[in-house]
Amino acid sequence: MNTHESMIRMLDVHKTFGSLKAVNGVSLTVRRGQVFVIIGPSGSGKSTLLRCINFLEVPDSGQVWIDGRRVEAEPRRLNAVRANIGMVFQQFNLYPHLTVLENITLAQRIVRRVPGEQAKQTALRQLERVGIAEKAGAYPAQLSGGQQQRVAIARALAQDPDVMLFDEPTSALDPEMIKEVLDVMLSLARTGITMVVVTHEMGFARAAADVVVFMDQGQILEQAPPGQFFARPQHDRTRQFLSQILTR
Amino acid sequence: MNLEESVQMQARFIERRRRTRLSDFPWWILAVGLLAAAVAVLISTDPDFNQAFVIIRAGLGVTVTTSLAAFALALVLGLIAGLGLISANPVYRNAATIYVEIVRGIPMLVLIFFIALVMIPGAVGGINVLGELLVSRGMTAAGTPLAGLDISQVDMNFRAVLALAVTYGAFLAEVFRAGIQSVPGGQMEAARAQGMTYRQAMRFVILPQAVRNILPALGNDFISMIKDSSLVSVLAVRDITQIARLYAGRSFKFEEAFTILAVMYLTITLVLSIVMKRFEQRMRRHEHA
Ligand SMILES: Nc1ncnc2c1ncn2[C@@H]1O[C@H](COP(=O)(O)OP(=O)(O)OP(=O)(O)O)[C@@H](O)[C@H]1O
Ligand SMILES: [Mg+2]
Repeated sequence: MNTHESMIRMLDVHKTFGSLKAVNGVSLTVRRGQVFVIIGPSGSGKSTLLRCINFLEVPDSGQVWIDGRRVEAEPRRLNAVRANIGMVFQQFNLYPHLTVLENITLAQRIVRRVPGEQAKQTALRQLERVGIAEKAGAYPAQLSGGQQQRVAIARALAQDPDVMLFDEPTSALDPEMIKEVLDVMLSLARTGITMVVVTHEMGFARAAADVVVFMDQGQILEQAPPGQFFARPQHDRTRQFLSQILTR
Repeated sequence: MNLEESVQMQARFIERRRRTRLSDFPWWILAVGLLAAAVAVLISTDPDFNQAFVIIRAGLGVTVTTSLAAFALALVLGLIAGLGLISANPVYRNAATIYVEIVRGIPMLVLIFFIALVMIPGAVGGINVLGELLVSRGMTAAGTPLAGLDISQVDMNFRAVLALAVTYGAFLAEVFRAGIQSVPGGQMEAARAQGMTYRQAMRFVILPQAVRNILPALGNDFISMIKDSSLVSVLAVRDITQIARLYAGRSFKFEEAFTILAVMYLTITLVLSIVMKRFEQRMRRHEHA
């Protein structure tokens, strides 16, 4: 296994939609085991940036490196890269026609060709880890939002990924369910897996982040450890954004 | 409120409930059932109707097998063309669009003539040329049967199935396309993000959901297929329509022949439609999503 010290490197990444510069020249480095939190106003390009990491959006220009390897749009290699990156979405995106267990075993079986019984054991272990082993036989629609999102996390973890990407994982949840998901993410952060998290949960950022970056209009304006970031934001835009979000 | 008032209210309530129950009753099924019963009585009591029924009934097997075979083939064509319609590859997309648009622009009857009497003979001619080419290259074993294939060996029942399948394949392509597009985009994204190929994502994530969404539409199209299968009588395929036409022409018993024919189609389609409604209700009750 490759043990490159920087797990994710982006070099001058651009992505435009029509004339809109969603990501406008971003470079960043996420080191192995870091929790990298991205914050910023709506429409600032956070999701697009995250999706450029696993090429759900193919950048117009710039480079993306994962664990020392250049990510390219060539399908076979791209699928191998993606299999090594777990992704958790705002809307969960569980497969509604499959049970919780099948949701977690599907990709193991058809992408990594793990034998059925082994895939099932892995799935049950991950469900245990997110605290809902008893729901293995249920369908997603029978679960609460918080439970669904924990299944989605278990599904991503079952890929045994080196990197986990989270795109506002708690934004679609009722307040009383946010904590159960954040708790799972906090304990995950302590295991040393590399995490990139887009969130508006400043409490999570303070508690778990190694680095916080602030994005605005497709660019990273500011980047710092959370203590420094929240105590002494450098840019007016950052201060303005923080004051809005913290008083809300 | 005194006792009398309350009793009156209760009576009104019961009356209203009775009336809604009466208006909810599927009267149309009763009416159709009575019609079918009347025809059944005719068949069992009137010798002319009885004879027409016995003769036309012989075509039921052809009508049913033609419809089933054509629909099965149309499902395959429709799925392939439907995937083509949404393909990112412009070659597939345009090929599928051409197919759908051509079929949509031609009356079904004309299309059936064209496929059975122009396209299939043309294809056989092509196979002959290919066979001769193989023979001239020394591949006699493979070439000879192809070169010797005669259009008269391709029977009309087979051509009818192919003609119906090509026609319905184009309709079903649109149904599959709509079904696939009814699945939220996040599903494909989640599957691709897990490293699945486009094909794997389609097969294991998108299509199972799409097919569930379009089952009612597919059921309706199958019923339409049974009705439209009557058109293949123009190819002299001995389905119930063709037999009824022949019988009526021969015996001049138009009334008997076409009454029986109409009621036969109606019975098949109504039974299927009721079965499908039941099935849909059951699916909805077991819905997970
Ligand atoms: N597929 C797309 N096609 C066209 N425009 C897009 C697409 N995806 C994103 N955009 C636009 O790009 C800009 C950045 O979007 P993005 O979703 O990355 O922002 P965000 O920071 O994640 O916002 P939010 O906090 O609302 O999720 C927005 O103006 C958005 O409308
Ligand atoms: Mg977003």
